[in-house]
Amino acid sequence: MIQELDARTKIIIVLVLSTWAIFFRNIQILLLVLLVSICISIFLKCDLKGVMYKTKKLFKIMIIIALVQSIFTKEGQAIFIINGFPILTYEGLVKTVEFILRVAIIVVSASIVVTSNYREIVQGLVQWKVPYEIAFMVSVAIRFMPIFSQELKDVVTAIQLRGIEIKKIPLGKKIKVYSYLFMPIVSSVIIKTKELSMAMEMKAFGAYPQRTSYMVIQMKKIDYIVISISVLCLLSSIFLYLI
Amino acid sequence: MANNYRGSEMKAVEVENLFFNYLDKKEKILDGINVTIRKGEIIGLVGLSGSGKSTFCHCICGIIPKIYEGNLQGTIKIFGIDIENMKIAEIASKIGVIFQNPDTQLFSPNVEDELAFGPENLCIERDEIGHRIKKALELVGMEKYRYHNPNELSGGQKQLIAIASVLTMQPQILICDEIMSQIDQKGVELIKKALIEIKNQGKTIIMVEHNNSNLNIADRVLLLKDGKIEEIKTRNE
Repeated sequence: MIQELDARTKIIIVLVLSTWAIFFRNIQILLLVLLVSICISIFLKCDLKGVMYKTKKLFKIMIIIALVQSIFTKEGQAIFIINGFPILTYEGLVKTVEFILRVAIIVVSASIVVTSNYREIVQGLVQWKVPYEIAFMVSVAIRFMPIFSQELKDVVTAIQLRGIEIKKIPLGKKIKVYSYLFMPIVSSVIIKTKELSMAMEMKAFGAYPQRTSYMVIQMKKIDYIVISISVLCLLSSIFLYLI
Repeated sequence: MANNYRGSEMKAVEVENLFFNYLDKKEKILDGINVTIRKGEIIGLVGLSGSGKSTFCHCICGIIPKIYEGNLQGTIKIFGIDIENMKIAEIASKIGVIFQNPDTQLFSPNVEDELAFGPENLCIERDEIGHRIKKALELVGMEKYRYHNPNELSGGQKQLIAIASVLTMQPQILICDEIMSQIDQKGVELIKKALIEIKNQGKTIIMVEHNNSNLNIADRVLLLKDGKIEEIKTRNE
């Protein structure tokens, strides 16, 4: 089934989509790329709604950055002027939309890789001759992300239980309160890292230059076809764009 | 005395005149320990918090001084071989360590991968790894969870997977560092049952414990106090 593509094939698809996102400087083309990314994600049964929910805060920040970028872009026809000073220009607005589209393409395309479990991704990278230590480091980071996020929530809850309503206090005080979170979180991360490294050492991690792999992933015919089509699309689109 | 054993029985661990202090502290946390642990025994190790139980275990399995430094004096032998002459990989294939927190010991997306991690590092053949995974899961009674995500298991089940992940390396000695402290009663019973099974296979178990009721499976109980070890209970007492 095409939905069961090899993790490496998905990585190639993401690389192609991301390259398009960075390479093209045209809103229509970027919109088309976003549409293609969404179609592929839906086809590969990605949890797009979940991804959108998780990246909700990221998008808010991105929109603020984009607006700031737009204000500081002085080229192009002015749309909004205060005291002769152009606040918003046509060029700035175009750049803002392009920026938001690029981020959206990268987020949507990244969700394609998430449909493979991280062990498959690591194994794919290892079979591509990426050093196991690097691939493992990536997988451990992914594995421990929810644990650290839970840790952060626990510390914030602990502070709130002492009568501080973080949402209602002014920004200055909020920053001060957040500084109190720093120490317990850092110490907890250090303790967990220490425990993890001990567990890994006692399982002979890195004992020999080579290691065997119980899991072996193999590309199927469909993977080769999808990779070929992806690379061909990338090269031909760049060629057509440049001429 | 802790080192009063029957000479004819095989010694799994021999500790002679063990002194240790951490680099940042002057006082010795282990102050002249002499103890012998026989093959196939379950040893309970008790003591107050900070008395050095975990430090003692880390010394036995080579974490100290091979990973964490400190001033260590004395000899530790595993089946007659001084661990000073052993690499960490050699020690890891003889001694398995299970820690208190199962979450920081399980780092793979499914149970099968978790169990394969150790043997993969030891360059064991794939077929053999598959065989070991099957046996280890049978031993801890977790066969049906082979393809589950460890995050979806209960605390007790996670700890059983942590035990199984160590067993696939086929160690002769297991060190269980307060492995039942975060587990509910049902989980504790499952772990104790698994430990008895492991003992019946001739393996030696050192279990650090705070809860006396978990020590009923121990053949001997050693108390670590003021840096010294004394035997406080044998199976017959």
